[in-house]
Order: sequence, then structure tokens, then C-alpha cells
Amino acid sequence: MYVALLANRYLTSRIIPWIAVAAVALCVALVVIVVSVMSGFLDMLRTSGKTMMGDVVIRFPISGIPHYEDLLEDLEALPEVAAATPTIDTFGLIEMPYGTGDGNNMVETVQVWGIDPESFNRVSEYEDILWWRTPSMEDAESLPSDDLRLDPGRDRTEAAMSLKDPATGAPGIVLGMHISVFNERRADGTYGFQAGDTNYWMPGKQVELTLVPIKGGRLSIEPESRAFSIVNEFQSGVFEIDKNRVLISLQDAQEMLRLGSGTLYDQTGKLDPETGMPLVLGESPARAIAIYVRANEGFTPDQLRIAASEAYDRFWSDNVDREDRTVKPPSPFRVSVMTWEQQLASIIAPVQKERELMRILFSIVYIVCAGLVLSIFWSIVYEKTRDIGILRAIGASRPGILGIFLIYGLVIGLLGSIVGVGLGWLVVTNINAIHDALGEPAPIWLTITTFTVAAVLVVFSIHAAIKGSILRWLLGVIGFLIIGVVGVGLALHQGFLLWDPSVYYFNEVPSKMDWFTAFLTMGGAVLFSVIGAAIPAARAADTDPVKALRYE
Amino acid sequence: MNDSATNNETPILQGDDLRKTYRLGRVEVPVLHGASISVKEGEWVAILGSSGSGKSTLLHILAGLDRPDLDSGDVRYRGAKVELQDGGKTNHYRNKTIGFVFQFYHLLPELDVLENGMLSNLVPRGKGSGIVIFMMAIIGGFLGAWLGGMAAGDWGLLPLEERTPVRSVVLSGACAIIGSGVMIALSQIAQAIILRTRMRSGEAADLARSTLKDFGLAERYRHRPRELSGGERQRVAIGRALGSSPDLLLADEPTGNLDEQTGTAILELLKEKHQKGLTIVMVTHDPKVASYADRVVRLRNGRVLEED
Ligand SMILES: Nc1ncnc2c1ncn2[C@@H]1O[C@H](COP(=O)(O)OP(=O)(O)OP(=O)(O)O)[C@@H](O)[C@H]1O
Ligand SMILES: [Mg+2]
Repeated sequence: MYVALLANRYLTSRIIPWIAVAAVALCVALVVIVVSVMSGFLDMLRTSGKTMMGDVVIRFPISGIPHYEDLLEDLEALPEVAAATPTIDTFGLIEMPYGTGDGNNMVETVQVWGIDPESFNRVSEYEDILWWRTPSMEDAESLPSDDLRLDPGRDRTEAAMSLKDPATGAPGIVLGMHISVFNERRADGTYGFQAGDTNYWMPGKQVELTLVPIKGGRLSIEPESRAFSIVNEFQSGVFEIDKNRVLISLQDAQEMLRLGSGTLYDQTGKLDPETGMPLVLGESPARAIAIYVRANEGFTPDQLRIAASEAYDRFWSDNVDREDRTVKPPSPFRVSVMTWEQQLASIIAPVQKERELMRILFSIVYIVCAGLVLSIFWSIVYEKTRDIGILRAIGASRPGILGIFLIYGLVIGLLGSIVGVGLGWLVVTNINAIHDALGEPAPIWLTITTFTVAAVLVVFSIHAAIKGSILRWLLGVIGFLIIGVVGVGLALHQGFLLWDPSVYYFNEVPSKMDWFTAFLTMGGAVLFSVIGAAIPAARAADTDPVKALRYE
Repeated sequence: MNDSATNNETPILQGDDLRKTYRLGRVEVPVLHGASISVKEGEWVAILGSSGSGKSTLLHILAGLDRPDLDSGDVRYRGAKVELQDGGKTNHYRNKTIGFVFQFYHLLPELDVLENGMLSNLVPRGKGSGIVIFMMAIIGGFLGAWLGGMAAGDWGLLPLEERTPVRSVVLSGACAIIGSGVMIALSQIAQAIILRTRMRSGEAADLARSTLKDFGLAERYRHRPRELSGGERQRVAIGRALGSSPDLLLADEPTGNLDEQTGTAILELLKEKHQKGLTIVMVTHDPKVASYADRVVRLRNGRVLEED
């Protein structure tokens, strides 16, 4: 009974516990906000690596996989698989439709992907990353009114989905947003565009793509060039991809790389005795080099990887002995099945490292906060040593004394962590609004209000000095200095961009609450508050009453 | 107290060969060296002594608040040794057997007069309360862990690829802590509410009220100690000491800080209680005060000397 009574009284009759609540709340909020934003950012980085990729990639040797259509069918029949798409990737040179200034056209090295747009869209939401498509209602609102994409006539989704020039039917190509040097990203995340600037509008322009085909598993020495018509551009959100990748149709890629279906000739130079032409061995099937697979809802990439790997083993053993297969699929040992994270290890690894580093840094912040909470409680309980002596003298038990301060710490920890998480949630969910407000010059009324408050504080402290209160005078002076500095800061503040989209590449500050960290921090705060109060209380409860009473 | 007839021979409180030496580094301050005192049931004994002679020290040892030296004799209550180690028994001795009035009041500043007055009644904990809190903590812990587990799994708080067993367990653990914390806090709020009703109408509260009323503090139940005068504080302290109807009242200079008039009033109060059968051991340096007692002993050179 007295435990509840005293815990209640100690909490309600003084200011110190509220200072402790505020300290706990600020520590919790600090951790929640920073970890949420940081891990949100790292998450964005990480998942952006997943763009234009499924969950699992099955990669074949450079000679590709024949009869991949059958494998796709097998894969799509698996419960783990939502969609699968064949691709061919290689490197090439692209001659851009604009010059370098010395009479030659600009030539860029690019990563070329041959895709099947329909299934590729199902695996990686290809349509969503296309640039020249009519923006959704919400997106349209945030676009500048002169944005070309607001004109429905500029929608090239159809063309991108067929990878054919809508006018001529010529082979189409989709370029990464940053391949064209005219697409210069601005600080606010939009792209450079001036009225009448014809270079910004790429669709319809011609480029020349040069690839080096494959012959019998070896590179041919004769490069193959073809003209492509730009049908669209894409922005995946990953600079490396947008700067380097172009998409053409799987068929075009197969043809250019000699991976298409055709007659299979003997490679050793034997001639057909009848015709004198190279010996025909049979029909050569079209090939793909990689298959990207997307996991069904509820399956992790790892589960999918195992399933896909087994599916390929089955596919191989079914096909390897079949008479009608002139070209055998590569042995499973030469085929790699990887999750997108394994595939992108070079991008993911540093991100993961950063995350670990952040965790370590934050355990230090945690410890600092814990130390703060501990020392606050230490002084609070120390001050109560005399009371503890009195209580012990009239027969309160040690566990009872401990109980008072356990509950004391518990309530402070609970309130503090709830307030802290609430505060953190408010900041995290509104971080973009806060960021935007910081990005603009301070409103004039705010500056004026601040200076007014500062002036009032001066009057207050002069009044206090006359009346002879040094504390009020001191508070007034400190308040004036702080508010005054804030006011000058506001007046000088012209707005600054903390989160520069041209640097970070994301248009928004991540504003996803990290609830795992939030709950963990709450639990930790409660625990540390309880421990922080319990240790000094236990110490005081252990001393003989008379000794405790001497603490005055 | 009711079987006083049979116990008349064994003293109610007895201190034998008590020794206490304060050590401050190398300096030794011997205070008690072989002090013996014996108090019969229903007696009022006054311990006289000059300042610094060790009166408070002796009284603290008799009340089980301080430890005598290792080579010291012991304190016996009705023939049974009083030991400081034994938690439950010591607490009972301090709470029920002895009522102690400190030289410097020692009221709890956060409690009002009534609460201070009935504090010794509130202190013995109901046997169940610890178990109730423990059960609440366990229930809350399980509830929190379960909710945490649900949140990690079904409610998708942890994204699928981050849902490792370790992370799920950690989350459940954190939620268990929060859950049991919430439940304990709720149970304490419930207790505080129960206590509030008990303060209005309850045996202990009624007893404390009537005692405080006798002491002339009827108008001041809701006041805090800092709002009282020294004499009033001393009366609250005596009220608290008497709150648990102890067998023995040990008072350390109950009138030491008071003017003569107030002191007399307090002594009259004690006299009244004494006449109702209360055994009193009182420390004072004032012979006038000592004259209220049935018997006066003198503390000198660390020993107790009888005085006629
Ligand atoms: N914790 C301590 N450490 C060292 N010396 C102490 C301690 N407590 C008490 N003493 C000393 O023991 C002696 C007796 O103290 P005590 O408080 O018992 O005296 P007292 O007779 O009650 O005096 P007063 O009449 O002034 O209250 C004093 O000389 C005091 O200085
Ligand atoms: Mg004294």
C-alpha cells in the first residue's frame, strides 16, 4: 500500500520526475528518428538495387540456355514463382543522335539488355519506371506545369511495351534516363528542360547500337551494328543503372548476338558432302542468358532460390538425354542461381556495412542515454535516502523500498518512452514537411514573433533585477540570448536543402517508421529506467536506518 | 500487554552490556561501553545525560535501528534477542513492537499529516500484494510477448526478409517488458485508488485521525510537514509512533526543540497514554522533563547509572 502511495507522491509532487520523463522521451525520440530515417534510407538504397530485377536470377554461360521457354513454363508452375522472364545481357556501344562538337556523334558504352517486355513487366514492374508515360493523378500534381509528360500525346508506354517504333515498326530501344547528356537532374529531382529544347525529347530519334556476337561459345570478331529508334526512356532510381543500361527486345538481342533460332552448322569445319556447304547438324533453338524470377507473396528470395535451383536440376535431367534436343542445356554446375541480394552483393555489401556501423554507433548512443537515465535516477534516489531511512525505521521491508523506486522508475520509463515514440513518430512521418519548411526562408511573422519574445524577456530580466531575484534575472538573460540567437538565425535563414535529391537520388526523405527499433528502444528505456532507479534504491535500503537518516 | 501479570518478572525491554564505538578512520569515538538497561512493562523510564553522552545511540540500538559493536551484549524484548539481520522479524519489531520518536521529527515531506500519522499502519505489506504484482507482471509479460510476436509475424511489423527468429524474439522480449510494465503500473494505480478510499474510511485512518485529533491537529490533516511548526511536527511524529499501537514508545528528546509550554503539552499527552498502559523510554537532558518518568537513569561515560 505504502509502495503505491509513495511512488505516486514522489512522481506527482516534484518536477524532477518530469525532467526525467523528458530526458527519457528525448533519448527515445532521438534514437527512433535517426534510426528510422537512416534505415529507411539504407532500405531505399538496398531495394532500389532490386529494381529491374526479380527476386532470383538464373544465369547461364554465355552460350545461353536453349529451350528456355520450357524452363519458363516449369518455373511458372512452381507455387513459389509469381513470374519469370528471359533476358540476354551484354555490352555494346551506342552512337547517340547528337554530336560531341567535333563533327562526330557521341558514342557511349552501354549495358544492353534484351527483354521480353510483357513478362519482364510482370517480374520487375517495367512499366512503372518508364519516363514517357502519363503520370498518375497524384504524381501529376507535384510536377511543374511545363513538364512534357503532362501532355498525353507524349505517352510512349505502348511503344516501350512492344519495343518497336510506333511509326515505322523499326526495332525500338529504351534508354536509361542518364544516358542522354541532356537529361540533367536538378536539385528538386526534376530534369532540365527548356521550352523549345528538342534534345530533351528523345523518343523517335535514331541511335546506332553495336554488339559483339557470340559464335560457338567464343566471341566473334565481327561486331554487328543496327539502327534503333528510341521509343522511351526509363528512370529506375539507381544512378548506375540509369547511366548505363539500354533495353531492346529479346528477339533483336538474340539476332544480333546470333543466339536466335536457326540452322545449326557443324563448328569443326566438316562440309556436307552433297552440297559442299558446312554440315547441317539440325535446328538451333533460340537462347536466353539469364532468367529473372519474381517470388510469390509470402516466399522469401531464399526459398525461391532453392525451388528454382531444384527446378533447373529437373529441367536439365529431363532434357540432357532427349534425342530431339540437338543443343543440350548447360549442366547445373555451370548455372548460377542467386537471389538478387547475392547478385548485387557489390552494391548491397557496403549498404549492409553501413547498417552495421549505424547499429554500432547507435548502441553507443543507447549507452549514453542509459547512462543519462541512470545518473538522473541516482541523484533522485540519493536525495531520498533520508526518507528511506525513516521508512526502514518504522519497519518497511527492503523489497518494499525497492518496490517504490522500481515503480517510480517504471512509470518514468513508460511515460518517457511512450512520449518519445510519439514524438519520434510525429517527426518521422512529417519529416518531409519539416524538411521543406527548413528549405524555405523563415516566414516573416515567425521572425517578428521571436524578436518580440526576446524583447519581452529583456524587460522581464530588467524587472527581475530591480526586484532582486537573481534566478529570474538569470533565466531572463539566458532566455533572451537563446531566443535572440534563434531570431537572428531565422532572419538570416534563406533556406537550405539538407536532402539534396541530386546527391541522394531520392526525391523524398524516407519517412517510414522503424517500429522494430521503436519497440526495442521503448523496452530498453523502461528497463534502464527501472534498473537506474533500482540500484541506488537497493543501496539505500541496505544501509541501517540510522546511517540513512544521517544523509541530510 | 494483556498478559502483563505473568510477565511482570521478565523485563519488556532489556539491554545488556551494550557497546558502541564510532570509527572515523583511525580516530575511535567510544560512546557506549557496557551500558545496561532494563525496562519493566508499564514503566516510564527517562534516560538523562549531557549532550553527546550517547543517549540517542543507546535508544537507536534498543529500537533495533542501529547495530552495536560485535563484542557487545544484546537487546532482548520480552526475553527474546532482537537481531538486526533477520529481515521480517526486525521489520515487525520496528513496526509493531516499537514506536520511535526521533529527536528531529523525521516526517516524510511528500506525505500530508494524516498519511504521515498512519504511515506505520500502511507499512506492513499485505501478504498478497507482492504476489499480485508478480502475477500482473507475468500476465503483462506474456501478453506483451504474444502481441510482439503477432506484430512481428502476422501484422508485418518486420518485413519478410528481416523476420529472423532472433529479431522476432528480441521484439517479443521488448514487448514483454513494456507489457509487464504497463500491467504493474495499472495495478499500482488500482492500489493507489483503493488506498484513497481506505484513507477516507478505514480502521487505520480512523485511529490516526483520532490520535491526531487528541493532539490538536484535527484541522491539519491535509497539510504537509513543512507547513507545520516544530511542536506540531513533533506531535505528528508521536502520532505516527503510536499509530501501530506499539508495546513500547521510545522517544528521543520529544520536547528538546520545543518551548516549555508546548513541551509540557506533549508530556501531558504522553502521560495520558502512559496511564493507559504504554511503556515509555524517553531520552532527555532536562531534569524537569525527566520528572514525568517513574524512574530516571543517567548515562555517563558510556554506562547507565541508576538514580533514585
Ligand atoms: N556516525 C557517527 N560517527 C561518529 N561519531 C558519532 C556518530 N554518531 C554519533 N557520534 C558521536 O557519538 C556521540 C554520542 O552521540 P549521540 O547522538 O548518541 O549523543 P546524544 O547523547 O544523543 O547527544 P544529544 O543530547 O546532543 O542528542 C557523540 O559524541 C557523537 O559525536
Ligand atoms: Mg541525541
